Amino acid sequence: MHIAEGFLPAGHAAGWTIAAAPFVVHGARAVVKEVRENPESTLLLGAAGAFTFVLSAIKLPSVTGSSSHPTGTGPGAILFRPPVMALLGTVVLLFQALLLAHGGLTTLGANAFAFAVVGPWAGYGAYRLARAAGAGLLPAVFAAVALADLATYVTTSFQLALAFPDAESGLAGALLKFLGVFAVTQIPLAVGEGLLGVLLFRVLTVNARPELERLGILTPAPVATAAGGAA
Amino acid sequence: MTGLAVDDAAWASAWRRRAPGDKVLLCGGLVVTALVLPAWPGSALVAVVAVALALGPARVPARTFARAVRWPLAFVAVGAVTAVVEVGGDGVGWAPDAAAHAGSLVGHAVAGSAAVLLLATTTPMSDLLPALRRARVPAAVVEVASVTYRLLFVLLDSLRAVREAQAARMGYSSLRRSYRSSGALAAAVLTRSWDRARRMQEGLAGRGMDTGLRVLPEVLPSSRPFLAATAAGLTTIVATSAVLA
Repeated sequence: MHIAEGFLPAGHAAGWTIAAAPFVVHGARAVVKEVRENPESTLLLGAAGAFTFVLSAIKLPSVTGSSSHPTGTGPGAILFRPPVMALLGTVVLLFQALLLAHGGLTTLGANAFAFAVVGPWAGYGAYRLARAAGAGLLPAVFAAVALADLATYVTTSFQLALAFPDAESGLAGALLKFLGVFAVTQIPLAVGEGLLGVLLFRVLTVNARPELERLGILTPAPVATAAGGAA
Repeated sequence: MTGLAVDDAAWASAWRRRAPGDKVLLCGGLVVTALVLPAWPGSALVAVVAVALALGPARVPARTFARAVRWPLAFVAVGAVTAVVEVGGDGVGWAPDAAAHAGSLVGHAVAGSAAVLLLATTTPMSDLLPALRRARVPAAVVEVASVTYRLLFVLLDSLRAVREAQAARMGYSSLRRSYRSSGALAAAVLTRSWDRARRMQEGLAGRGMDTGLRVLPEVLPSSRPFLAATAAGLTTIVATSAVLA
Protein backbone atom coordinates (compact mmCIF):
# COMPACT_ATOMS: atom_id res chain seq x y z
CA MET A 1 0.00 0.00 0.00
CA HIS A 2 1.59 3.28 -1.07
CA ILE A 3 0.94 6.74 0.38
CA ALA A 4 -1.91 8.25 -1.64
CA GLU A 5 -1.67 11.52 -3.57
CA GLY A 6 -2.21 14.59 -1.39
CA PHE A 7 -1.93 12.68 1.90
CA LEU A 8 1.45 14.09 2.94
CA PRO A 9 1.82 17.82 3.72
CA ALA A 10 3.65 19.70 0.94
CA GLY A 11 6.85 20.16 3.01
CA HIS A 12 7.11 16.44 3.78
CA ALA A 13 6.38 15.47 0.17
CA ALA A 14 9.18 17.80 -0.99
CA GLY A 15 11.55 16.60 1.77
CA TRP A 16 11.15 12.91 0.91
CA THR A 17 11.58 13.71 -2.79
CA ILE A 18 14.90 15.40 -1.98
CA ALA A 19 15.88 12.43 0.22
CA ALA A 20 15.10 9.86 -2.51
CA ALA A 21 16.63 11.90 -5.36
CA PRO A 22 20.35 11.00 -4.82
CA PHE A 23 19.54 7.28 -4.81
CA VAL A 24 17.35 7.52 -7.92
CA VAL A 25 19.93 9.70 -9.73
CA HIS A 26 22.66 7.21 -8.75
CA GLY A 27 20.47 4.41 -10.15
CA ALA A 28 19.85 6.40 -13.33
CA ARG A 29 23.62 6.91 -13.77
CA ALA A 30 24.19 3.17 -13.27
CA VAL A 31 21.55 2.45 -15.93
CA VAL A 32 22.98 5.04 -18.37
CA LYS A 33 26.50 3.56 -17.91
CA GLU A 34 25.19 0.02 -18.39
CA VAL A 35 23.23 0.94 -21.53
CA ARG A 36 26.22 2.85 -22.98
CA GLU A 37 28.49 -0.16 -22.49
CA ASN A 38 25.90 -2.76 -23.51
CA PRO A 39 23.04 -1.28 -25.59
CA GLU A 40 21.16 -4.59 -25.40
CA SER A 41 20.76 -4.03 -21.62
CA THR A 42 17.90 -1.59 -22.35
CA LEU A 43 15.61 -4.52 -23.09
CA LEU A 44 16.76 -6.63 -20.14
CA LEU A 45 16.36 -3.69 -17.73
CA GLY A 46 12.94 -2.91 -19.21
CA ALA A 47 12.01 -6.55 -18.70
CA ALA A 48 13.22 -6.31 -15.08
CA GLY A 49 11.01 -3.26 -14.50
CA ALA A 50 8.00 -4.96 -16.08
CA PHE A 51 8.64 -8.07 -13.96
CA THR A 52 8.69 -5.97 -10.76
CA PHE A 53 5.36 -4.38 -11.75
CA VAL A 54 3.80 -7.73 -12.64
CA LEU A 55 5.18 -9.44 -9.50
CA SER A 56 3.27 -6.89 -7.43
CA ALA A 57 0.11 -8.06 -9.27
CA ILE A 58 0.48 -11.68 -8.09
CA LYS A 59 -1.89 -12.46 -5.24
CA LEU A 60 -0.21 -13.76 -2.09
CA PRO A 61 -2.27 -16.66 -0.72
CA SER A 62 -3.17 -16.22 2.97
CA VAL A 63 -4.59 -18.44 5.68
CA THR A 64 -7.61 -16.22 6.21
CA GLY A 65 -8.69 -16.53 2.59
CA SER A 66 -8.08 -12.86 1.86
CA SER A 67 -5.17 -12.00 -0.37
CA SER A 68 -2.53 -9.32 -0.61
CA HIS A 69 0.14 -8.43 -3.12
CA PRO A 70 3.93 -8.66 -2.78
CA THR A 71 5.99 -5.47 -2.96
CA GLY A 72 8.10 -7.26 -5.59
CA THR A 73 11.37 -5.41 -4.92
CA GLY A 74 13.16 -8.16 -2.92
CA PRO A 75 13.88 -10.53 -5.83
CA GLY A 76 14.83 -7.54 -8.00
CA ALA A 77 17.32 -6.33 -5.36
CA ILE A 78 19.05 -9.75 -5.36
CA LEU A 79 18.98 -10.16 -9.15
CA PHE A 80 19.74 -6.61 -10.32
CA ARG A 81 21.28 -4.90 -7.20
CA PRO A 82 19.78 -1.97 -5.20
CA PRO A 83 21.10 0.98 -7.29
CA VAL A 84 19.32 -0.31 -10.41
CA MET A 85 16.24 -1.12 -8.31
CA ALA A 86 16.16 2.49 -7.02
CA LEU A 87 15.49 3.61 -10.59
CA LEU A 88 13.37 0.64 -11.70
CA GLY A 89 11.34 0.84 -8.47
CA THR A 90 10.66 4.55 -9.06
CA VAL A 91 9.59 3.83 -12.67
CA VAL A 92 7.30 1.06 -11.37
CA LEU A 93 5.83 3.47 -8.77
CA LEU A 94 5.18 6.05 -11.51
CA PHE A 95 3.38 3.39 -13.56
CA GLN A 96 1.42 2.20 -10.51
CA ALA A 97 0.34 5.81 -9.85
CA LEU A 98 -0.72 6.40 -13.47
CA LEU A 99 -2.02 2.95 -14.45
CA LEU A 100 -3.49 1.65 -11.19
CA ALA A 101 -4.04 4.83 -9.11
CA HIS A 102 -1.77 3.34 -6.38
CA GLY A 103 0.33 6.05 -4.74
CA GLY A 104 0.63 9.49 -6.30
CA LEU A 105 2.86 12.05 -7.97
CA THR A 106 3.63 14.44 -5.08
CA THR A 107 4.07 11.36 -2.83
CA LEU A 108 6.29 9.63 -5.44
CA GLY A 109 9.46 10.71 -3.57
CA ALA A 110 8.23 9.35 -0.21
CA ASN A 111 7.02 6.11 -1.78
CA ALA A 112 10.26 5.76 -3.78
CA PHE A 113 12.30 6.20 -0.59
CA ALA A 114 10.39 3.35 1.12
CA PHE A 115 9.73 1.03 -1.84
CA ALA A 116 12.70 1.62 -4.17
CA VAL A 117 15.48 2.63 -1.75
CA VAL A 118 15.04 1.29 1.81
CA GLY A 119 13.27 -1.97 0.83
CA PRO A 120 15.82 -3.11 -1.78
CA TRP A 121 18.84 -2.02 0.31
CA ALA A 122 17.50 -3.77 3.45
CA GLY A 123 16.75 -6.90 1.42
CA TYR A 124 20.09 -6.90 -0.36
CA GLY A 125 21.92 -6.25 2.94
CA ALA A 126 20.14 -9.23 4.52
CA TYR A 127 21.00 -11.38 1.49
CA ARG A 128 24.71 -10.49 1.57
CA LEU A 129 24.91 -10.94 5.37
CA ALA A 130 23.19 -14.32 5.21
CA ARG A 131 25.44 -15.49 2.36
CA ALA A 132 28.56 -14.21 4.18
CA ALA A 133 27.43 -16.13 7.28
CA GLY A 134 27.38 -19.30 5.20
CA ALA A 135 23.63 -19.55 4.56
CA GLY A 136 22.47 -21.29 1.40
CA LEU A 137 20.83 -19.43 -1.46
CA LEU A 138 17.24 -20.16 -0.46
CA PRO A 139 17.46 -19.14 3.25
CA ALA A 140 19.27 -15.95 2.14
CA VAL A 141 16.52 -15.26 -0.44
CA PHE A 142 13.85 -15.75 2.25
CA ALA A 143 15.58 -13.27 4.60
CA ALA A 144 16.09 -10.75 1.79
CA VAL A 145 12.58 -10.83 0.34
CA ALA A 146 10.80 -10.84 3.71
CA LEU A 147 12.97 -8.02 5.05
CA ALA A 148 12.60 -5.92 1.87
CA ASP A 149 8.80 -6.15 2.26
CA LEU A 150 8.82 -5.37 5.99
CA ALA A 151 11.39 -2.55 5.72
CA THR A 152 9.21 -0.85 3.09
CA TYR A 153 6.21 -0.74 5.42
CA VAL A 154 8.26 0.23 8.50
CA THR A 155 9.61 3.18 6.47
CA THR A 156 6.08 4.13 5.31
CA SER A 157 4.95 4.05 8.98
CA PHE A 158 7.89 6.29 9.95
CA GLN A 159 7.07 8.73 7.15
CA LEU A 160 3.43 8.93 8.27
CA ALA A 161 4.40 9.28 11.95
CA LEU A 162 6.77 12.11 11.09
CA ALA A 163 4.01 13.88 9.15
CA PHE A 164 1.29 13.30 11.76
CA PRO A 165 2.86 13.15 15.26
CA ASP A 166 0.49 12.18 18.05
CA ALA A 167 -0.95 15.19 19.92
CA GLU A 168 -0.12 13.67 23.32
CA SER A 169 2.70 11.15 22.83
CA GLY A 170 4.47 12.85 19.90
CA LEU A 171 6.51 11.02 17.27
CA ALA A 172 6.99 7.85 19.36
CA GLY A 173 3.25 7.43 19.93
CA ALA A 174 2.46 8.11 16.29
CA LEU A 175 5.11 5.62 15.16
CA LEU A 176 3.55 3.00 17.43
CA LYS A 177 0.11 3.67 15.87
CA PHE A 178 1.24 3.56 12.26
CA LEU A 179 3.52 0.54 12.83
CA GLY A 180 0.55 -1.23 14.42
CA VAL A 181 -1.65 -0.55 11.40
CA PHE A 182 0.79 -0.75 8.47
CA ALA A 183 3.77 -2.86 9.64
CA VAL A 184 2.59 -5.39 12.26
CA THR A 185 -0.25 -6.50 9.99
CA GLN A 186 2.39 -6.85 7.28
CA ILE A 187 4.51 -9.43 9.17
CA PRO A 188 2.54 -12.50 7.95
CA LEU A 189 2.50 -11.02 4.44
CA ALA A 190 6.28 -10.42 4.59
CA VAL A 191 6.74 -14.09 5.60
CA GLY A 192 4.43 -15.04 2.71
CA GLU A 193 6.43 -12.92 0.26
CA GLY A 194 9.64 -14.50 1.62
CA LEU A 195 8.20 -17.98 0.91
CA LEU A 196 7.16 -16.85 -2.57
CA GLY A 197 10.74 -15.64 -3.15
CA VAL A 198 12.12 -19.04 -2.07
CA LEU A 199 9.75 -20.88 -4.42
CA LEU A 200 10.63 -18.44 -7.24
CA PHE A 201 14.39 -18.95 -6.82
CA ARG A 202 13.97 -22.72 -6.42
CA VAL A 203 12.33 -22.85 -9.85
CA LEU A 204 14.91 -20.42 -11.29
CA THR A 205 17.87 -22.53 -10.11
CA VAL A 206 16.45 -25.37 -12.23
CA ASN A 207 14.99 -23.48 -15.22
CA ALA A 208 17.21 -20.41 -15.48
CA ARG A 209 20.59 -21.50 -14.10
CA PRO A 210 22.65 -19.80 -16.87
CA GLU A 211 20.93 -16.44 -16.19
CA LEU A 212 21.54 -16.77 -12.43
CA GLU A 213 25.20 -17.62 -13.11
CA ARG A 214 25.51 -14.61 -15.43
CA LEU A 215 24.02 -12.35 -12.72
CA GLY A 216 26.48 -13.78 -10.16
CA ILE A 217 23.79 -15.35 -7.98
CA LEU A 218 25.09 -18.88 -8.55
CA THR A 219 28.70 -19.94 -9.07
CA PRO A 220 29.19 -21.64 -12.44
CA ALA A 221 29.67 -25.37 -12.05
CA PRO A 222 33.28 -26.37 -12.90
CA VAL A 223 33.59 -27.65 -16.45
CA ALA A 224 34.76 -31.24 -16.57
CA THR A 225 37.97 -31.50 -18.58
CA ALA A 226 39.37 -34.56 -20.28
CA ALA A 227 42.06 -36.18 -18.11
CA GLY A 228 45.53 -35.98 -19.50
CA GLY A 229 44.85 -33.29 -22.10
CA ALA A 230 46.26 -33.33 -25.60
CA ALA A 231 49.14 -35.67 -26.11
CA MET B 1 -8.28 -3.68 -24.59
CA THR B 2 -4.98 -3.89 -22.69
CA GLY B 3 -6.28 -5.33 -19.43
CA LEU B 4 -5.58 -2.21 -17.35
CA ALA B 5 -8.82 -0.25 -17.11
CA VAL B 6 -7.13 3.14 -16.56
CA ASP B 7 -4.90 2.63 -19.61
CA ASP B 8 -7.89 1.54 -21.72
CA ALA B 9 -9.76 4.68 -20.60
CA ALA B 10 -6.77 6.86 -21.51
CA TRP B 11 -6.63 5.49 -25.08
CA ALA B 12 -10.41 5.87 -25.51
CA SER B 13 -10.69 9.31 -23.85
CA ALA B 14 -12.02 12.29 -25.80
CA TRP B 15 -8.90 14.15 -24.59
CA ARG B 16 -6.51 11.53 -26.05
CA ARG B 17 -5.56 13.89 -28.93
CA ARG B 18 -4.87 16.86 -26.65
CA ALA B 19 -1.21 17.77 -26.11
CA PRO B 20 0.20 15.86 -23.10
CA GLY B 21 1.89 19.08 -21.90
CA ASP B 22 -1.50 20.84 -21.74
CA LYS B 23 -2.99 18.02 -19.65
CA VAL B 24 0.07 17.84 -17.37
CA LEU B 25 -0.25 21.60 -16.78
CA LEU B 26 -3.97 21.30 -15.94
CA CYS B 27 -3.66 18.24 -13.70
CA GLY B 28 -0.39 19.43 -12.11
CA GLY B 29 -2.09 22.75 -11.34
CA LEU B 30 -5.05 20.95 -9.78
CA VAL B 31 -2.75 18.70 -7.68
CA VAL B 32 -0.77 21.69 -6.34
CA THR B 33 -3.98 23.66 -5.71
CA ALA B 34 -5.48 20.69 -3.82
CA LEU B 35 -2.35 20.43 -1.70
CA VAL B 36 -1.79 24.09 -0.78
CA LEU B 37 -5.37 25.41 -0.39
CA PRO B 38 -7.39 24.63 2.75
CA ALA B 39 -9.36 21.37 2.39
CA TRP B 40 -12.59 23.34 2.65
CA PRO B 41 -13.42 24.80 0.24
CA GLY B 42 -10.22 24.63 -1.89
CA SER B 43 -9.64 20.86 -2.11
CA ALA B 44 -13.38 20.20 -2.38
CA LEU B 45 -13.56 22.53 -5.42
CA VAL B 46 -10.56 20.78 -7.01
CA ALA B 47 -12.18 17.37 -6.50
CA VAL B 48 -15.46 18.53 -8.06
CA VAL B 49 -13.66 20.13 -11.04
CA ALA B 50 -11.43 17.06 -11.64
CA VAL B 51 -14.36 14.61 -11.53
CA ALA B 52 -16.57 16.89 -13.67
CA LEU B 53 -13.82 17.28 -16.32
CA ALA B 54 -13.14 13.52 -16.38
CA LEU B 55 -16.76 12.44 -16.68
CA GLY B 56 -17.80 15.42 -18.84
CA PRO B 57 -15.54 16.70 -21.64
CA ALA B 58 -12.93 13.91 -21.32
CA ARG B 59 -15.69 11.24 -21.43
CA VAL B 60 -14.02 8.82 -19.01
CA PRO B 61 -16.45 6.03 -18.02
CA ALA B 62 -17.79 6.77 -14.50
CA ARG B 63 -17.38 3.10 -13.57
CA THR B 64 -13.66 3.12 -14.46
CA PHE B 65 -13.09 6.34 -12.52
CA ALA B 66 -14.97 5.07 -9.46
CA ARG B 67 -13.21 1.68 -9.47
CA ALA B 68 -9.77 3.29 -9.81
CA VAL B 69 -10.36 5.73 -6.95
CA ARG B 70 -11.20 2.85 -4.55
CA TRP B 71 -7.50 2.04 -3.88
CA PRO B 72 -6.42 5.50 -2.78
CA LEU B 73 -9.67 5.83 -0.79
CA ALA B 74 -8.87 2.64 1.18
CA PHE B 75 -5.44 4.01 2.13
CA VAL B 76 -6.83 7.47 2.89
CA ALA B 77 -9.56 6.07 5.19
CA VAL B 78 -7.16 3.85 7.18
CA GLY B 79 -4.42 6.50 7.27
CA ALA B 80 -6.73 9.34 8.33
CA VAL B 81 -8.34 7.33 11.14
CA THR B 82 -4.89 6.26 12.42
CA ALA B 83 -3.64 9.86 12.28
CA VAL B 84 -6.47 11.23 14.44
CA VAL B 85 -6.43 8.51 17.08
CA GLU B 86 -4.55 9.67 20.19
CA VAL B 87 -2.33 7.34 22.20
CA GLY B 88 -1.66 8.52 25.76
CA GLY B 89 -1.39 7.44 29.36
CA ASP B 90 -5.17 7.01 29.54
CA GLY B 91 -5.20 4.62 26.60
CA VAL B 92 -6.49 5.21 23.10
CA GLY B 93 -9.00 7.93 22.17
CA TRP B 94 -9.84 10.54 19.56
CA ALA B 95 -7.67 13.65 19.31
CA PRO B 96 -9.51 16.90 20.28
CA ASP B 97 -9.86 18.12 16.68
CA ALA B 98 -10.16 14.63 15.19
CA ALA B 99 -13.09 15.30 12.83
CA ALA B 100 -11.60 18.51 11.38
CA HIS B 101 -8.12 16.97 11.00
CA ALA B 102 -9.48 13.78 9.38
CA GLY B 103 -11.69 15.86 7.08
CA SER B 104 -8.71 17.95 6.02
CA LEU B 105 -6.56 14.86 5.31
CA VAL B 106 -9.33 13.16 3.35
CA GLY B 107 -10.13 16.37 1.43
CA HIS B 108 -6.53 16.96 0.29
CA ALA B 109 -5.97 13.30 -0.60
CA VAL B 110 -9.27 12.75 -2.45
CA ALA B 111 -8.83 15.97 -4.47
CA GLY B 112 -5.19 15.18 -5.28
CA SER B 113 -6.03 11.58 -6.26
CA ALA B 114 -8.90 12.76 -8.48
CA ALA B 115 -6.57 15.24 -10.24
CA VAL B 116 -3.90 12.55 -10.86
CA LEU B 117 -6.60 10.17 -12.05
CA LEU B 118 -7.82 12.83 -14.51
CA LEU B 119 -4.33 12.80 -16.06
CA ALA B 120 -4.08 8.98 -15.90
CA THR B 121 -7.45 8.38 -17.57
CA THR B 122 -6.86 10.87 -20.42
CA THR B 123 -3.15 10.40 -21.25
CA PRO B 124 -1.54 7.06 -22.19
CA MET B 125 1.94 6.46 -20.73
CA SER B 126 3.40 6.37 -24.25
CA ASP B 127 2.41 10.07 -24.60
CA LEU B 128 3.90 10.99 -21.22
CA LEU B 129 7.26 9.23 -21.60
CA PRO B 130 8.54 11.52 -24.43
CA ALA B 131 7.66 14.45 -22.13
CA LEU B 132 10.19 13.02 -19.62
CA ARG B 133 12.84 13.25 -22.35
CA ARG B 134 11.97 16.93 -22.84
CA ALA B 135 12.35 17.35 -19.05
CA ARG B 136 16.02 16.27 -19.57
CA VAL B 137 15.65 12.78 -18.12
CA PRO B 138 18.47 10.77 -19.81
CA ALA B 139 17.42 9.01 -23.02
CA ALA B 140 18.59 5.62 -21.69
CA VAL B 141 16.28 5.94 -18.66
CA VAL B 142 13.28 6.94 -20.80
CA GLU B 143 13.97 3.99 -23.12
CA VAL B 144 14.09 1.54 -20.20
CA ALA B 145 10.78 3.00 -18.95
CA SER B 146 9.28 2.70 -22.47
CA VAL B 147 10.32 -0.96 -22.74
CA THR B 148 8.90 -1.55 -19.25
CA TYR B 149 5.56 -0.05 -20.32
CA ARG B 150 5.40 -2.10 -23.53
CA LEU B 151 6.40 -5.37 -21.83
CA LEU B 152 3.92 -4.88 -18.99
CA PHE B 153 0.98 -5.97 -21.07
CA VAL B 154 2.78 -8.96 -22.56
CA LEU B 155 3.75 -10.14 -19.07
CA LEU B 156 0.29 -9.45 -17.62
CA ASP B 157 -1.13 -11.64 -20.44
CA SER B 158 1.39 -14.38 -19.56
CA LEU B 159 0.48 -14.01 -15.87
CA ARG B 160 -3.22 -14.44 -16.60
CA ALA B 161 -2.70 -17.39 -18.98
CA VAL B 162 -0.38 -19.30 -16.62
CA ARG B 163 -2.60 -18.60 -13.60
CA GLU B 164 -5.69 -19.80 -15.48
CA ALA B 165 -3.89 -22.99 -16.50
CA GLN B 166 -2.70 -23.57 -12.93
CA ALA B 167 -6.19 -22.96 -11.52
CA ALA B 168 -7.71 -25.40 -14.04
CA ARG B 169 -5.23 -28.02 -12.77
CA MET B 170 -6.26 -27.46 -9.11
CA GLY B 171 -3.12 -25.38 -8.53
CA TYR B 172 -4.87 -23.16 -6.00
CA SER B 173 -6.98 -25.79 -4.21
CA SER B 174 -5.03 -25.58 -0.92
CA LEU B 175 -2.74 -23.06 0.75
CA ARG B 176 0.35 -25.22 0.11
CA ARG B 177 -0.53 -25.66 -3.56
CA SER B 178 -1.34 -21.94 -3.86
CA TYR B 179 2.15 -21.03 -2.67
CA ARG B 180 3.83 -23.55 -4.95
CA SER B 181 1.76 -22.31 -7.92
CA SER B 182 2.47 -18.64 -7.11
CA GLY B 183 6.23 -19.33 -6.98
CA ALA B 184 6.11 -21.20 -10.31
CA LEU B 185 3.96 -18.38 -11.74
CA ALA B 186 6.51 -15.71 -10.74
CA ALA B 187 9.36 -17.83 -12.16
CA ALA B 188 7.48 -18.42 -15.42
CA VAL B 189 6.82 -14.69 -15.83
CA LEU B 190 10.48 -13.81 -15.08
CA THR B 191 11.93 -16.37 -17.52
CA ARG B 192 9.41 -15.30 -20.18
CA SER B 193 10.39 -11.65 -19.66
CA TRP B 194 14.08 -12.56 -20.16
CA ASP B 195 13.20 -14.64 -23.22
CA ARG B 196 11.11 -11.81 -24.69
CA ALA B 197 13.86 -9.25 -24.04
CA ARG B 198 16.50 -11.51 -25.65
CA ARG B 199 14.34 -12.16 -28.73
CA MET B 200 13.49 -8.47 -29.11
CA GLN B 201 17.17 -7.57 -28.76
CA GLU B 202 18.17 -10.12 -31.41
CA GLY B 203 15.43 -8.84 -33.73
CA LEU B 204 16.49 -5.21 -33.26
CA ALA B 205 20.20 -6.04 -33.62
CA GLY B 206 19.36 -7.72 -36.92
CA ARG B 207 17.78 -4.45 -38.02
CA GLY B 208 20.90 -2.48 -37.12
CA MET B 209 20.00 -1.04 -33.69
CA ASP B 210 23.08 0.62 -32.28
CA THR B 211 22.02 3.92 -30.70
CA GLY B 212 18.80 3.16 -28.92
CA LEU B 213 15.18 2.65 -29.87
CA ARG B 214 14.16 5.41 -32.26
CA VAL B 215 10.46 5.86 -32.94
CA LEU B 216 8.57 8.57 -34.79
CA PRO B 217 6.92 10.69 -32.07
CA GLU B 218 3.28 11.59 -32.56
CA VAL B 219 2.90 15.38 -32.64
CA LEU B 220 -0.12 16.58 -30.64
CA PRO B 221 -0.29 20.40 -30.88
CA SER B 222 -0.87 22.51 -27.79
CA SER B 223 -4.19 24.41 -27.61
CA ARG B 224 -4.18 28.07 -26.55
CA PRO B 225 -7.88 28.07 -25.57
CA PHE B 226 -7.25 24.96 -23.39
CA LEU B 227 -4.29 26.63 -21.67
CA ALA B 228 -6.27 29.85 -21.18
CA ALA B 229 -9.20 27.89 -19.71
CA THR B 230 -6.74 26.06 -17.40
CA ALA B 231 -5.28 29.34 -16.11
CA ALA B 232 -8.76 30.87 -15.71
CA GLY B 233 -10.13 27.77 -13.97
CA LEU B 234 -7.27 27.51 -11.49
CA THR B 235 -7.47 31.24 -10.73
CA THR B 236 -11.23 30.90 -10.15
CA ILE B 237 -10.69 27.99 -7.74
CA VAL B 238 -8.08 29.97 -5.74
CA ALA B 239 -10.27 33.11 -5.71
CA THR B 240 -13.45 31.23 -4.73
CA SER B 241 -11.55 29.42 -1.98
CA ALA B 242 -10.22 32.73 -0.64
CA VAL B 243 -13.70 34.30 -0.66
CA LEU B 244 -15.47 31.34 0.97
CA ALA B 245 -12.75 30.59 3.55
